[in-house]
Amino acid sequence: MSDQEIIQFNNVTKVFPGVKALDKVSFKINKGEVHALLGENGAGKSTLLNILHGVYQGYEGKVLIKNDVIKFGNPHEAIQFGISKVHQEVSLIPELTVGQNITLNYEPKKKLLIDYDKMHEEANKILDKLHCNFRSKDLVKNLSIGEMQMISIAKALFHDAKVISLDEPTASLTSSETETLFRIIRELKANGITIIYVSHRLEEIFKIADKATVLRDGKFIRTFDVEDTTKDELIKSMVGRDVSSFAKRNKPRRFSEEVVLEINNLTLEPHFKDISFKLRKGEILGFAGLVGAKRTDVVRTIFGADHKDEGEIIVHGNNVDIKSPLDGLENGIGLIPENRKTQGFVKNLNNANNIGLACLENFKDLIFLDHEEKIENSKVFIDKINLKPKDPLYLTRELSGGNQQKVVLAKWLSTNVDIFIFDEPTKGVDVGAKQEIYKLLEDLVAQGKSIIMVSSELPEVIGMSDRIVVMKEGRLTKILDYKEFSEEKIMHYAMEGTDVEDKEV
Amino acid sequence: MLKIKKFKIFREFGILVALFAMVIIFTALNPIYISFNNIIDIIQQSAINGLIAIGITFAILTAGIDLSVGSTLAIVIVVVGKFLTSGLNPIIAIFIGILIGFLLGVFNGLLITKLKIQPFVATLGTMSVYRGIAYVITGGWPVLNMPRDFRNLVSGRVFNIIPIPIFILIGFAIITHILLNHTRFGTYVYSIGGNEEATRLSGVNVEKNKVLAYGLVGVGAALAALVLLARLGTGEPTAGQGYELDAIAAAAIGGTSLAGGKGSVLGTFLGAILLSALKVGLIVTGVDTFWQFIATGSIIIIAVYLEHVQSQLYKK
Repeated sequence: MSDQEIIQFNNVTKVFPGVKALDKVSFKINKGEVHALLGENGAGKSTLLNILHGVYQGYEGKVLIKNDVIKFGNPHEAIQFGISKVHQEVSLIPELTVGQNITLNYEPKKKLLIDYDKMHEEANKILDKLHCNFRSKDLVKNLSIGEMQMISIAKALFHDAKVISLDEPTASLTSSETETLFRIIRELKANGITIIYVSHRLEEIFKIADKATVLRDGKFIRTFDVEDTTKDELIKSMVGRDVSSFAKRNKPRRFSEEVVLEINNLTLEPHFKDISFKLRKGEILGFAGLVGAKRTDVVRTIFGADHKDEGEIIVHGNNVDIKSPLDGLENGIGLIPENRKTQGFVKNLNNANNIGLACLENFKDLIFLDHEEKIENSKVFIDKINLKPKDPLYLTRELSGGNQQKVVLAKWLSTNVDIFIFDEPTKGVDVGAKQEIYKLLEDLVAQGKSIIMVSSELPEVIGMSDRIVVMKEGRLTKILDYKEFSEEKIMHYAMEGTDVEDKEV
Repeated sequence: MLKIKKFKIFREFGILVALFAMVIIFTALNPIYISFNNIIDIIQQSAINGLIAIGITFAILTAGIDLSVGSTLAIVIVVVGKFLTSGLNPIIAIFIGILIGFLLGVFNGLLITKLKIQPFVATLGTMSVYRGIAYVITGGWPVLNMPRDFRNLVSGRVFNIIPIPIFILIGFAIITHILLNHTRFGTYVYSIGGNEEATRLSGVNVEKNKVLAYGLVGVGAALAALVLLARLGTGEPTAGQGYELDAIAAAAIGGTSLAGGKGSVLGTFLGAILLSALKVGLIVTGVDTFWQFIATGSIIIIAVYLEHVQSQLYKK
């Protein structure tokens, strides 16, 4: 192995009962590069990382670091060896200080007691290196998600990491936070630290990565030089077929002028104020904005998950008082929430029950629940959404992310709502399932249903929407018509919020 | 549900196996254990705890708890006792008792849903409040001399053989099993315990269903109160102290997860019988009372540990 190479995977195979998660994967990662790991959900990225970080022990093949074959017994051994992971869902303890979190389990000690002065001094040194504007003594719970991620990176540096892997690091970041993260990554790289970068956002790969390795169905496909490849080529190798990752409408847009939902001066302090817009029949109304724009709060309030302070919600011409999700449902509004695990489906229920949750009240019998009817009902929608596997008795939590999302969608399809609110419908969903979800959205509007779609992915919101509402920090800054769509314009209204420079954009 | 069902059968089958093993061991030590009368005795002994435990299972399934069951039982005992001794028709008294139990449970449910007090704390409070009310009603004295007809009605024997409480327990188990598995309410109880937020966001009236679940806990405690009152013939305001712990133990042994969303009426029913079989067995074989506590506690811990092992196996 040359000096350049730091990590080498050699015929790594990992078998779970019934599934070959990794199948003879061999490739290498060079020192000081940003190496992207790509693949659909279930391609084996997480399994590979878990092996590298000592989470899994039983596997075939070899992992070499520098020239040594490594076999970590647990993640701690990996960390002490200089291999750290920044978790997808940031795992920090909110009630402790930044310094305590960074040094957790490795606190500097003065005899038996913790040496807090030294702890904060060391932590602050690292925070300075990362240009963080918070200090070691700050409580983690007061920080933003982007800042928490910095703490995770600081933690890796505290352990003198030579390899840091980032799993979907930008999923919850604002674009300015993402920019900061990228700057930090470049600095780490300059210091000879190797970065493994997992992301579904291809735009980012081209911004930050040097190499990109594609996995598909547990197999190594190819390592690309990012400079010499294109998005389409990467996607093609990820899915093994030609698809455009870009959301786009295949059917003609034909919404009517009929207004199904009118929102006037909707206000919920301190989250958002004076939101007014109209949703037309057969329309997909996109909601764009940065994290913190409070789009989720607006749609939750329209649905009834939160209760408005002021303003009007007018459904089909009737001014209604929506106080609970039940009111939302009864007024024909459904919400497919952002976080399907905590808000979308119930983990101990099977598909039939999860799909039936919102529509059981419509069944014939008033007291007893007809299981046959419930299962037959769920089958109809399982077909519609093309669920894999098509089993109504399968536990929803055991499905892939994309299929879980489809179950949550089916739950609302099975009701008679005609206004669907999607909050980040394709978050954490692989490319193939994305396409299917886009198609389902299109089918819905073709049937005369109306959709509000909150999305942080600009290509998605541009590709799918008929109009786009742009929000900034709890205010509606602009409603763009189809002809005006552009990434620059949306970002302008999301960041600046004003009309002044409109002509120059 | 197929996979889950397999697991459930497995789980309840496990309790049955433990039960049989216990019967064999105790019978080997003292053959009286297997006698018909002793077995009837075991089931009868489990009736009071079983009724409370089946009720409390509903609270636990919603990821809650009800510590006030023992005190609810005390109120029902003294109130029904008072009515009976003042000459009220036993049938009407029984209905009043069940209604009181239901309302006390509903009150717990309202504290939990409307005032958003955590179930543990809310029912810790009402545990003391309800107990106090029971004392206030009788001035601290027991209510004596229950009429014969009431005692025969609730605690007599059918054909002079099988005690009526067994029928009450089995009847309540069947009704609650149907409620849990064949009504919307039952589905919602599971889904609230599994993920309350997702259930709420599905347009389910979570508060109403939770309140009903706690009402049902109260009904279980009231039925237990009636059985106890008929058996003893006196209504003590001190009755039912510590019963909540036995009930929780039966539910836990029966595979009910204290985290909510998982468990069954059948499991709790078997859990209650297993606890009672253990207690009777320890008495029959002449084990010291102090050791009985140790044995009971150990069984709870072992059962829940095995549950954990099983679910890990199931995952793989």
